[in-house]
Amino acid sequence: MKTIDNGKKMKKDEVTNEFNQTLKGESLSADAWKRLKKNKMSMFGLFMVTIYAIVAALAPVLPIHRYDRQVLEHQFLPPSITRTAGELMLERRIDLIGRMMNKEKRSEMSQKEKAEIADIEYRIINETAEIDGKIIKVHERKYLLGTDDLGRDMLSRIIYGGQMSMAIGLIGTITSILIGIVIGSIAGYVGGRTDYIIMRIVDVMYGLPYMLLVIILMAILGKNILNLFLALSLVSWLTTARVMRGQILSLKNSTYVEAARSMGASSARIIFKHLVPNTLGIVIVFATLRVPAFIMLESFLSFLGLGVSAPYASWGSLIQDSIGGMTQYPWRLIWPAITMALFLFCMNFLGDGLRDAFDPQSKNRV
Amino acid sequence: MTKYIIKRFLGMIPTLFVIITLAFIIMRLAPGGPFDQERQVSDLVKANLEAKYHLDESMPKQFIRYLSGIVRGDFGPSFKYSDHDVAFFIFTSLPHSLLLGTIALLLATFMGVFVGIIAALNQNTWIDYSAMSLAVIGISVPLFVVGPVLMLIFAMKLQWLPTSGWITGRDGWVTLLMPVLTLSFPYFANIARLSRSSVLDVIRSDYVRTAKAKGLSQTVIILKHVLKGAMLPIVSYLGPAFSGIITGSVVVEKIFRIPGLGNFFVQSSLNRDYTMIMGVIIVYSTILILMNFLVDIIYSFLDPRISYR
Repeated sequence: MKTIDNGKKMKKDEVTNEFNQTLKGESLSADAWKRLKKNKMSMFGLFMVTIYAIVAALAPVLPIHRYDRQVLEHQFLPPSITRTAGELMLERRIDLIGRMMNKEKRSEMSQKEKAEIADIEYRIINETAEIDGKIIKVHERKYLLGTDDLGRDMLSRIIYGGQMSMAIGLIGTITSILIGIVIGSIAGYVGGRTDYIIMRIVDVMYGLPYMLLVIILMAILGKNILNLFLALSLVSWLTTARVMRGQILSLKNSTYVEAARSMGASSARIIFKHLVPNTLGIVIVFATLRVPAFIMLESFLSFLGLGVSAPYASWGSLIQDSIGGMTQYPWRLIWPAITMALFLFCMNFLGDGLRDAFDPQSKNRV
Repeated sequence: MTKYIIKRFLGMIPTLFVIITLAFIIMRLAPGGPFDQERQVSDLVKANLEAKYHLDESMPKQFIRYLSGIVRGDFGPSFKYSDHDVAFFIFTSLPHSLLLGTIALLLATFMGVFVGIIAALNQNTWIDYSAMSLAVIGISVPLFVVGPVLMLIFAMKLQWLPTSGWITGRDGWVTLLMPVLTLSFPYFANIARLSRSSVLDVIRSDYVRTAKAKGLSQTVIILKHVLKGAMLPIVSYLGPAFSGIITGSVVVEKIFRIPGLGNFFVQSSLNRDYTMIMGVIIVYSTILILMNFLVDIIYSFLDPRISYR
């Protein structure tokens, strides 16, 4: 017969399995993190989302141009890594004059055109402008992703637009989830007529195409960022409320709730101190799944001209601005589109991975 | 069964009533009346205008007037375009939106189910992986990116398709291609994912093994046994998908300049033409509720386990 102590002393609270190996208790989140780490696509998503978040948070200190600074002479410059704005301007002018010459069938530039080019060359070297308190040679700026119709730097607008989109996605999700938690848990815990009325309201609101509700709210309340939050949160708490209600219903008859009630805890205390903390894990996973949907909603509104408006930018409004001249200036469409699609892509991968990782059926599976 | 259908049908009426009431209340409470213009009008003109649009009556009377109008298909006069009724605008533009939406939904469903089955049957092969990558792209990339990018590639660079226009124009039915593809893409993606996972569930069930043991061919098993079981989650997804297609068509109609209801809706929201907005909302909700009703009926036919008493 094998004895329990084979050389080493066991600690009192250690748990062993049938082979006498020590088992370590694992919290749900540690277990989930272990499983998430195995999922390569989700880890890639997490990595990319982190990078996006860092870039957006550091936007004010990054060495980029100001997002709202207009240099009217720099309209519609194509993206370039090596060449300065001045060179691109000059090239465009010479190109235009060349086409004029072809049309008029002459081989020499007129005196006026020569003077114009000399003027541009002179200004490229000498013209300065004051930006952020510093005097710089304005035509030596480089635009890595080109410029828009008012000569603003696209790179900077995409970064600041991302900041706006992500902020709206995050704050909007948190607000709508808070509303959903409060309403859903009250409906679930109180039950009876309150539950019936709340759930009928949710049903009717589900029956409406809710994006259209947001459009109406924006039309009625007027366009600004605060109203945008308000309108989005007002219509998007429905699913959270349903999920929360279901959770509360399944927990409200458990013994610890009964214990709390027998000690005279109020309903509010039971809901917010005992029931809600026990459902938070599910709600957090649900929240990550909602963030991309929120970003899409916001950009959808901006695309229709009802969301973020100038001088601010969001990914949706950048894409909307680019539709008009997308044949001549394709970079204005392509870069915001790629940035946004990649972010949503990664967010979706991360969300899928989180959902799988927190799935109770996969517990302790690796 | 008939009893269930009738009961479910009558159940739609209170929902619609609530929606119309809400619409009416919002319309009357909203700040910025329809006649607030920069130019001040005299009191007499204002009184006449209000009398013409029955705004001088008491609220309940106005509500009853509005309600009885809707029953007869009359949504009242438009506040911005004084020579036409709201109903005129809605019923001239609705057919275009319905055509676009129906074709997109059908395409999404059939292609989605097809691709989902193929992916499930070839699980963990390159066919599965590429189909599912396409589906993830469809879910992550918003409509208003897909539309312009398709337009940039096929209409402007390759010049295979016309950039915009509609079937009533000179290009005819070809113009339908890009809007339908754009609109159906996200729903195709969702349906493909759903049907892949539900086919994978069903394919391991006992009755499919029995069918295999009886020596039935693969095609018969898929078409007769697997598909019927796997259809349930897809059918219940059709309701939300239709709602999404209505919203999506607003964007697609804007991108491809289609004279549909969605375009009108955005315009009237920007103009604060309240009777128009509410008319469109009521029409959309009616369609949506009808669609959910149909989905429920189809569901109860497909799933013999559900009995409705």
